[in-house]
Amino acid sequence: MRVQLIGFGNIGQGLAHVLLKKGNSLKKKHGLDIKIVSISDITGTVANDKGVDLKRALDVMGKTGKLIKYPGAKKMSGLEAIEKIDADVVIEATVSNVKTGEPGLSHMLAAMKQKKHVVTSNKGPLALKFKKLQSTAEKNGVEFRFEASVGGAMPILNLARNCLSGDEVLAIRGILNGTTNYILTRMLKEESPFDIVLREAQELGIAEADPSYDIDGIDTASKLVILANAIMGADAAFKDVRIQGIRNITPEAIKLAEEGGYAVKLIGEVSGSHLEVSPRLVPLNHPLNVEGALNVATFETDVAGEVTIVGKGAGSIETNSAILSDLIGIRGAERRKRQ
Amino acid sequence: MKVGLDIVLRDVPGQLVMALEPISKFGGNIISIVHEREAIKGGRVPIRVNVEVESNENLKRIITELEKRDIWVSKAGEIKKKEKITVLLTGHIVDTDLRDTIDKMNEIKGVMVADVALAMPHPDKESSARMDIEVSERAKAKTALDRLDEIAREKKLVVIKSLEGIA
Repeated sequence: MRVQLIGFGNIGQGLAHVLLKKGNSLKKKHGLDIKIVSISDITGTVANDKGVDLKRALDVMGKTGKLIKYPGAKKMSGLEAIEKIDADVVIEATVSNVKTGEPGLSHMLAAMKQKKHVVTSNKGPLALKFKKLQSTAEKNGVEFRFEASVGGAMPILNLARNCLSGDEVLAIRGILNGTTNYILTRMLKEESPFDIVLREAQELGIAEADPSYDIDGIDTASKLVILANAIMGADAAFKDVRIQGIRNITPEAIKLAEEGGYAVKLIGEVSGSHLEVSPRLVPLNHPLNVEGALNVATFETDVAGEVTIVGKGAGSIETNSAILSDLIGIRGAERRKRQ
Repeated sequence: MKVGLDIVLRDVPGQLVMALEPISKFGGNIISIVHEREAIKGGRVPIRVNVEVESNENLKRIITELEKRDIWVSKAGEIKKKEKITVLLTGHIVDTDLRDTIDKMNEIKGVMVADVALAMPHPDKESSARMDIEVSERAKAKTALDRLDEIAREKKLVVIKSLEGIA
């Protein structure tokens, strides 16, 4: 399988690490020979028809932070690489942008038009233009997979679409953002104010320098839109979500909640056509009350009743579990098509 | 709706089945039956059946059918079970007149603020409150929460609702 990697940050470099470690076992177990024929970042593109030297690419990034410093790298953009280099799959792992969806949106659409399958961890384009992406993939007869965009390593989309495929999903509720869960858990345990816990999370690399994306609920809302569209067949967009973040949650409020038998969590909820992100009181013995940076989601379905899944919602290595499962899924879909 | 039926049966075999048939015939769901054998009087035995029926119409049909079968219905009444909802409020709760907030909630029929726990870190800073609200029936929970949202908007308070409310 000839794969192009667009975006070489946290997730992209994580994939390189995972392939260096597991490449052989993937070949043996799944007959899946993943060859990264090009890697692009904002500075340029490295291409090699026989497969880019991933170890070297990681070294260059570790030392310089710029892919263009890789010997022989070209000043070619990701979009050009998609249009000019021959490949089967494009992995789009650039930084998510929920306002315009770019550059991810253009990358994905261009790849589909080039009859390349698309795998992505990038939420922004999906939260804005899900239907367009899905119809473009269908029109071009390619697979469009995005397990890594919601819940990181937690296989939430595959669970719903494969294991619960006979059920109708009536509602989904959960913690879809590890950063806010970490902050609220620490506020409860330490009785510390929001600002101090946020700073601590930033120092640990759990929260971004600009934390608004997480703590104002934007990240959760994007994921909610993807779940509503992909699992519940909705035609929802980011603007349809009612959003309230966790900035004004005080340690006193969290303490009062605990005394009443509740934890405060930032919950994303899609129920019918209603999409909402807001802090909620979760009973302490409820399955959604998970601690630390974990993600969790409960499906309410017509046959199975409630099904809950818990897992790591982020992480450079962990999220690549989802990307690998998508690549293996594409391999399976191609085989079925040929038969 | 849940209804408690006090029924008086003749103390002969087969009467209980005869009394229960009309309930299922008109879509009633039997929740519990209490058979008070020690209270037999004049060859009649009282039983209490708690059922869930869809409407008053169905309840009337059940009672008519029971009476046709010579089964007395001595009492039929809706069972009102109070439900409790818990919310958290943050903001200037005291300065925006907590008493008034509670009064406004209590004005709604079937809604009562049962408990308030307050935390005030500093007179100038925002405070927090946990409020337990009792509602006479499930449908009232939404009315109560909608009204609380309105009050919170007016007073610039943040309402954090419980997950159970809609789960």
